[in-house]
Amino acid sequence: MSDSTRSAGPDPKTTTLAVRTDDLWKIYPQEPEPVQAVRGVTLEIESGDFVAMAGPSGSGKTTLLNLLGGLTDATRGRIWIGDEELTTMDGGRRARLRLDRIGFVFQAYNLLPVLTALENAEFTLLLRGMPAAERRAKVAALFSEMGLDGLADRRPAKLSGGQQQRVAVARAVVGDPALVLADEPTANLDSVTGGALLDTMERLNREHGTTFLFSTHDPLVMARARRLITLVDGRIVSDERTRAGDAKT
Amino acid sequence: MRVLILLRLAARSVGRNARRSVLTAAAMVVGLALLIFSRALAEGGHEQWIESAVRLGSGHVAIQAPNFLETGRLEYRLGERAVERTLQALESLPDDAVLAWTPRLSVNGLASSAASALPVRIEGVDPRREAAFTELDEKVQSGRYLRDDDRLHAYIGVELARRLDLDIGDRFVLTAQGTTGEVEGQLVRVAGIFRSAIQEVDEGLIHVPIETVRTWLHAENEVTTLALLLESARATDPVIEALEAALGEEPGIRILGWREVSPDLDSAIRIDDYGNYLFHGILFAIVALAILNAILISVLGRRREFGILQALGLTGFQTGLVVFFEGLFLTIASGLVGMVVGFLFTWGFFRDGLDFSGMIEGEMTFSGSVVEPVIVPIFHHSDVLLSLYFILVIGTLASIYPALRASKLDPAEAMKFDR
Repeated sequence: MSDSTRSAGPDPKTTTLAVRTDDLWKIYPQEPEPVQAVRGVTLEIESGDFVAMAGPSGSGKTTLLNLLGGLTDATRGRIWIGDEELTTMDGGRRARLRLDRIGFVFQAYNLLPVLTALENAEFTLLLRGMPAAERRAKVAALFSEMGLDGLADRRPAKLSGGQQQRVAVARAVVGDPALVLADEPTANLDSVTGGALLDTMERLNREHGTTFLFSTHDPLVMARARRLITLVDGRIVSDERTRAGDAKT
Repeated sequence: MRVLILLRLAARSVGRNARRSVLTAAAMVVGLALLIFSRALAEGGHEQWIESAVRLGSGHVAIQAPNFLETGRLEYRLGERAVERTLQALESLPDDAVLAWTPRLSVNGLASSAASALPVRIEGVDPRREAAFTELDEKVQSGRYLRDDDRLHAYIGVELARRLDLDIGDRFVLTAQGTTGEVEGQLVRVAGIFRSAIQEVDEGLIHVPIETVRTWLHAENEVTTLALLLESARATDPVIEALEAALGEEPGIRILGWREVSPDLDSAIRIDDYGNYLFHGILFAIVALAILNAILISVLGRRREFGILQALGLTGFQTGLVVFFEGLFLTIASGLVGMVVGFLFTWGFFRDGLDFSGMIEGEMTFSGSVVEPVIVPIFHHSDVLLSLYFILVIGTLASIYPALRASKLDPAEAMKFDR
């Protein structure tokens, strides 16, 4: 859905949506003139979708992901994650929402260097207060599923880029979030490793129903996404179902 | 539960950034060790000044009649009953509370020889008790100190001997106003000549057996001062309180601490203390800046990490807490290590004293005290704990600003940093 089809406000339908934005703007006050990183984006992403967001550098992809993750404040407009409005929340509630409902995968992996792979992956579960045995079992199953067996006790510095990114994905999905926001997750990986990572994320999407929203330059990611949104200069210029999406439907 | 997680993260971070942690801790360890060392040295120096002064003077605690301190006149003396009551009170103190005590019957008078006549301070003393109390008996230049069986003997300063042209065995006359109001004279013979290095003592103090003075001035079984020597100056106030409690309301008895008896020395020590406090303040400021600098640099260098923590679900406040806990861990660990290092350094190298004799020519005196060139450090638990407490407070305060910086990071901006 493009920014030309705006919704006036919350709708009962939003309960089936993972994300909804309404006329979302992000303007950075900067000299000589403010930078409009995101300009009036209105967007709906259904639960369980596998969406790629493409566009040239500076088109506002990362800023939009940060806005959707509550990592930065919108200048104006509204955001709902599921049926909860993010834009009216204070910092504490946003942090709680991120913990419970949103997973992040970053281009630079961004694992916590002081924790082992297992501790990184279980971190959000730990913050949620899940008992240790349950936590460990869940991470172990996920590691096994993602080919990370035997790496649990390694610190990030002792893992390859692909392994680190898989741990990052495991950390993002282990808490069964409604939404995973992935900022160019394959950008630092070779095509084989990137492909394998996409396989993993597709499988998690398929088997667990996790909604994925990527920002990417990678044609491989775009090709495998079921929906491709293109941003230019902070605006959505195209939003279409891909072949992968058509095949699924 | 979350606090435990934050503590664990902080502990891991301190451990992981070993070099940074060690450098930060080193500043605190050195600071605290220096603090403990300088404090122990200052305490040792002060204790030595005080001990020198109180042994030559009226002890850590002086028990007198009211007005004697101000006038020095014999009419203000402790009568036989007051002496007995005071000695009973002394017996009620714990055995180790008082190292030594000595009775003195002191009066201002005149010493006259064929050569001259000079004003002097005549102290009637119990030779055996006085020898255990004062260091003057060890300062003999010629002759000897007084003995129990001496009667008409005197122990005089070297300057007085020179000015009166007296030598061992020479006789001279002491004149003073007795308890009857009459001026009376007493012939005595020089038994010994001392050199204390304190000008006013060497030219103006005479020790005479107390029984001689009592008979001469008609003050049988009376004293002007009962002087107490304690384990240390710190015991002064507790002993005074205990004596006051034991004596109850006794208007004829006044109990004085060394600070009241020697106000000049008290002032000198206070001034020295202010100097030390200034030094400690500078030391604290340096330590605080070192901690602040190290933790702040660490925060600025780990913005991405803190951004990730917030992306994963920590609030800004919780992120700040991680930084604060890191500072706290560093402070506690450094404080404990610094305390041990400070103690070991001081005790290991200077337990027998720090020798300044190369810097002092001859003997140095002030406020009736001889400054020994060797200062033996003294540890007081309370001083060590106070230093530790201050370093912990400073470390904690210095961690607050970096913690605030971390808590106010914009996670999106932080993760963009150094990408």
